[in-house]
Amino acid sequence: MELLVLIKPVPDPDTRLRPNAAGTALDTDGVKWVLTGYDESAVEQALLLKESAPGSRVRAIAFGPAPRTEEILRSALALGCDTATWVEQPSGLVPDPMLSANALSWACQKTPFDLLVVGKQALDDEAGVVGPAVAERLGVADYGPVVDLRWDPAAGKFNLARAVEGGLERITASGPMVVCLQQAWNDPRTAKLQNVLKARRTTIDKVSWAEVQAGVGPAVPGTRLTSFRLPPPRTGAKMIAFKTPEEAAQQLVRLLREEAKTLP
Amino acid sequence: MSADVLVVIERRGAAPVRAALEATGVARRLAGPSGAGRVTAVLLGTALEASAGTIAGLGVDRVITVSDPRFDTFQTALWAAAVAAIARELSSSVILLAGTNNGRQLAGRIAIRWDAAAVTGIADLSPGAAGEITVTRPVFSGRAFQEVRIGAPRVVLGLRPNAFPIPEASSPPAPIAEHAPLELGPLPSGGAVTGFESAQSGIGPDLSDATVIVSGGRGLKGPENFRLLEELALSLGAAIGASRAVTDSGWRPASFQIGQTGKSVSPQLYIAVGISGAIQHLVGMISSRTIVAINSDPSAPIFKVADYGIAGDLFQIVPALTAEIRRVRGS
Repeated sequence: MELLVLIKPVPDPDTRLRPNAAGTALDTDGVKWVLTGYDESAVEQALLLKESAPGSRVRAIAFGPAPRTEEILRSALALGCDTATWVEQPSGLVPDPMLSANALSWACQKTPFDLLVVGKQALDDEAGVVGPAVAERLGVADYGPVVDLRWDPAAGKFNLARAVEGGLERITASGPMVVCLQQAWNDPRTAKLQNVLKARRTTIDKVSWAEVQAGVGPAVPGTRLTSFRLPPPRTGAKMIAFKTPEEAAQQLVRLLREEAKTLP
Repeated sequence: MSADVLVVIERRGAAPVRAALEATGVARRLAGPSGAGRVTAVLLGTALEASAGTIAGLGVDRVITVSDPRFDTFQTALWAAAVAAIARELSSSVILLAGTNNGRQLAGRIAIRWDAAAVTGIADLSPGAAGEITVTRPVFSGRAFQEVRIGAPRVVLGLRPNAFPIPEASSPPAPIAEHAPLELGPLPSGGAVTGFESAQSGIGPDLSDATVIVSGGRGLKGPENFRLLEELALSLGAAIGASRAVTDSGWRPASFQIGQTGKSVSPQLYIAVGISGAIQHLVGMISSRTIVAINSDPSAPIFKVADYGIAGDLFQIVPALTAEIRRVRGS
């Protein structure tokens, strides 16, 4: 089975978020970029499927600037991906998610695949458009958000479950297809040191921005970031003083009705 | 120039989902008053009459139904092709999608097919001059807000659930017209749906629809004590959620879990009972409008993000709260 997994460098979840000087985007100064969250779950799921179908291979593909994109591809290789493709993003380009989807789809169509796994959204911008957009570009079906995904070797099909409002839909489907994964129903592995060292020496295939533009047409983002701000700091709860549970309940209900106005 | 908005109406059973009603209201806001821009609602599938009737009375200019059993199951490629074809036919400038899992799945696909920009997870928006639309969307699990200005001539907008009010009923209702059968050309075939598992115990609304959520954590001490939350939820018409500690212990199925590895919710009112407030839980509920925390430990981190806190014994506080809510709501 040929598997592709799309990943993206995102700020370490422990990063203290700050707007840049212009107030339009995240200040990336000093940010540590990592493979985590949805993407880490997606890599794990690709590796589990690889292990369940002998002879399978996993290629990790990422679009982004140097050096962070190359670094997370090496993280994916260290975890067990066999090959990696880096779609180079020129410095100064601010990609919107649709532009990223177009760039990634160009890299994906270079090799035939049975299954493409991708997080249902990125941990940072939470757009969630890349998986379905790549699927549309490649002319294959997509499923998401998927919370369970198994290979049935006897039937030669995938069994998956996707979350819908009110429950789970169970689906049997054949590749090639795109699966957009919910985060971490699997338990992502950590890389062994010798594999980290080996991953440093692995050649990463590069796709230049010029090639992408020639392939999918010039990139004209239709959107522009105009502001990035933090929510007003939560100052801590208004603590309700009470002598009896009944008194606490009465005060809370009064505050919810008269002050917060959120009691139905 | 006013927007010409196509809003996609998803249903569950015979009724539109709540998020679709919210989207209908947003569509009107984007298009401006009737006569300025135009709002078209589209429904796909079979037995559409009741839902179409509901939507027709919510301030739209017209309702289009596509009665075709192919749309009774959700296949992204098929739905996206149909919606894009109708938008092209109507020369729409905006396709509006409800804040549902299916809505989120459709955005990128429609945008490619319709050659449009796509912005999802929208919590607020304002139509600007010259046809530009400015939207606000939470990012980084609600730890920051991004403002995006959209200048593209065509855009797919996806909303966050529970971020917008349900529009008032209007009269007379808009006309409802059946669309001619859609010829969509070759499309990738979707898989076969083999089953459906209902996620909830039958009490209250679905987590993603709920405007009030009552959520329980390890402080409940055991699965049997969830009945306290069930009674509170019933008094409020609320859905029940849980922390990861609870679902990992098997006290409640995984579908109840709210947090980084579970569902993200943003109800009007979130009541956290016996939940300490680990960051993994907070990212799933931090964008709730009002947060109430009930916990015996006054130093629990949940009190740092809550609006109202009661440091006390939940086994006494919760029944008292249920009784008080029943009293004031007269039930």
